[in-house]
Amino acid sequence: MEFGWTPEQEDYRRRVRAALDELLPEDWDERYVPQSYASDLQVEFSREFCAGLAERGLLVPHWPKEYGGSESSDWAHFILGEEMKAAGEPRGAQYMNVNWIGPTLMKYGTPEQKDLHVKGIASGKVIWCQGFSEPDAGTDLPALRTRAEPDGDHYVVNGSKIWTSYARRADWCFLLVRTGPSRKDLTILLVPMDSPGISVTSYPGVIKFGHLNEVYFTDVRVPVANRVGEEGQAWEIVSHALAFERVGVPRYHTGLDALDLAVEQIKREGRWFNDPIVRAKAGRLVSQFEAARMLTYLVVDQRVKRMPPSTDANLSRVVALHAVKDLMDFIAEYVPDCLAGGDVLLEDYYRINIPAGVTGGTNEIQLDLVANRGLGLPRER
Amino acid sequence: MDFQLSDDQSALVAALQTILSDYAEIPQAERHGYYRYDSGLQEQLERNGFLDAARDMGEVEAALVVFETARLPGVVDVLGRGLVAPIVCPDLPLSGPVALARRGDLGKGIRNLPVASHLLVEDGDDVLICSLGDTEILPVESILGYPYGKFARLPDLEQAQKIVGAGAAMRRAWRVGLSAEIAGASRAAIDFTLDYVRNRKVFGRAVGSFQSVQHRLVMRYGHAKCGYYLAMRAAWSGTDTDAAIAACQAQSGISELMFDLHQFNGGMGMTNEHLIHFWLYRVRALQADVGGPTAAALDVAERRWGAQEVPAEALSETVS
Repeated sequence: MEFGWTPEQEDYRRRVRAALDELLPEDWDERYVPQSYASDLQVEFSREFCAGLAERGLLVPHWPKEYGGSESSDWAHFILGEEMKAAGEPRGAQYMNVNWIGPTLMKYGTPEQKDLHVKGIASGKVIWCQGFSEPDAGTDLPALRTRAEPDGDHYVVNGSKIWTSYARRADWCFLLVRTGPSRKDLTILLVPMDSPGISVTSYPGVIKFGHLNEVYFTDVRVPVANRVGEEGQAWEIVSHALAFERVGVPRYHTGLDALDLAVEQIKREGRWFNDPIVRAKAGRLVSQFEAARMLTYLVVDQRVKRMPPSTDANLSRVVALHAVKDLMDFIAEYVPDCLAGGDVLLEDYYRINIPAGVTGGTNEIQLDLVANRGLGLPRER
Repeated sequence: MDFQLSDDQSALVAALQTILSDYAEIPQAERHGYYRYDSGLQEQLERNGFLDAARDMGEVEAALVVFETARLPGVVDVLGRGLVAPIVCPDLPLSGPVALARRGDLGKGIRNLPVASHLLVEDGDDVLICSLGDTEILPVESILGYPYGKFARLPDLEQAQKIVGAGAAMRRAWRVGLSAEIAGASRAAIDFTLDYVRNRKVFGRAVGSFQSVQHRLVMRYGHAKCGYYLAMRAAWSGTDTDAAIAACQAQSGISELMFDLHQFNGGMGMTNEHLIHFWLYRVRALQADVGGPTAAALDVAERRWGAQEVPAEALSETVS
């Protein structure tokens, strides 16, 4: 057992931090971060930022060399993600591209799709959105209704998608559609967002503007050549894609940063030394986030060693979510003014995390997966 | 970063598990007390060098021995003899079980005191070593899973050997050890409960098929798993901060563990002949060690953010 970083990994982290220092504008924290990473401002900035990362070999370092990567280790990829998250995720939507859309297309895409999209993602200039959830199909994705009917060498798509972050500025949509009557008749299409018949409506909400979009598809014609894999293969493809996504978010990092901000404010207001309860609660939160860190690192270590997939990734999300939930309580109790005109970075943390138990697979699904597949508890209902 | 056991660590654990497998069960007829101290196992671990792992191999290895032995329903002392003592007094090998206490608690029931050959007393900056020898110990009945006892007369601490400046090291090692022991006992209690709920039927279906049961067991399992790695990281780094984080996390989740596992084992789990109490009440006993989770949390906070006096200008800003 070994819990430290190698000198090479520490060098790599310094290299990533140096790139962040060079590429982020001086008013990044004041102007960009408070608008959240799905805002138009940040999404557009990500094109410039990710192109800069690509030039430095830091956008897709974990990819194979033939696709523009340098085949760096999973730890290097993870360190990159930690530092990006700590900086407010300036890659914006493109964290999805490099984490799972690109790798999924490498595995399932046609040569033409790989040539166009994988190269495009590696350049850092293309924005994608994910068209999965619908008004009546969120966690239960097989219930989705958006249909794609074959019409010659095209599909005609009708329906709508919801919670589609980045849709306002996206160039392409990784779209999940129904191509048959059964729950398994799902297919993936790659759809240009400027196709005739697509419209995007943004909704205000408790999370920051830019996350809550509904995308309407009205007789949208999509070439059959834009289908990924075969008709009905989407479930396999999505499962593969989300396996890349599961440990993609180092929540302990942003959580500890937000906790530092909250404690700074409490200290400025003279409520730290005199209140052991607030200090004990803050210390407890550190231990919770460090617990989440351990499980996240465990999963990366398993991946580095090419161990068989386990449910530890699901478990790590459960543990991290509870820490996030408790931190939101702490913020609401001890620095509530951040939600009423106070610290904008804390407000951003709070609002971005309101749906933390829902996004990327609900907490209950994670719990079910660990219970049934990890602990071997019976599925019978 | 490497979360898997090294070859040496794997060999250590495998050899240890071979011995422990002989003690995996407590015969039904012997489940009449609140604890079962395995003196034979204690001697066997001593004789085969497992309690010298801290000296011979390192602190992680000693923490692994604590974790593995804590998974047994019976109890031995590894935390005091195998982890804390070698760190606090490396030049003074102690044999036999070593009880641990804070100076202010010497008049209270002390864990492992009836079986211990020595007592290490945390005395602020220093540590006192009391050789128990013929000291009269009064057994104390307790549900807390370990042998407890009180001094018939408080020991004369003037006669105790003092290790100056070892107090912080004792608190750190104690926190590492209690975290590993809580992780081991919790894991065993959860494994035992998983077996039970997979097979026990209610309303025509397995208890473990109910989602309300499943989700809570996953939470408890996750807590124990995190506790294991935090304990091992603390043993690896040797820092006070990591030890406080590990103890804070381990000692904080006990309320939920106690409640849920009692619930899922049902009424039979309240009886002495059912095994669940052997693990659960050891965990409960460790909850208050070294000041408990609140003291650990305050330590974590102080190490991360300090606990300095409030600047006067900050106070005046608040008032204005």
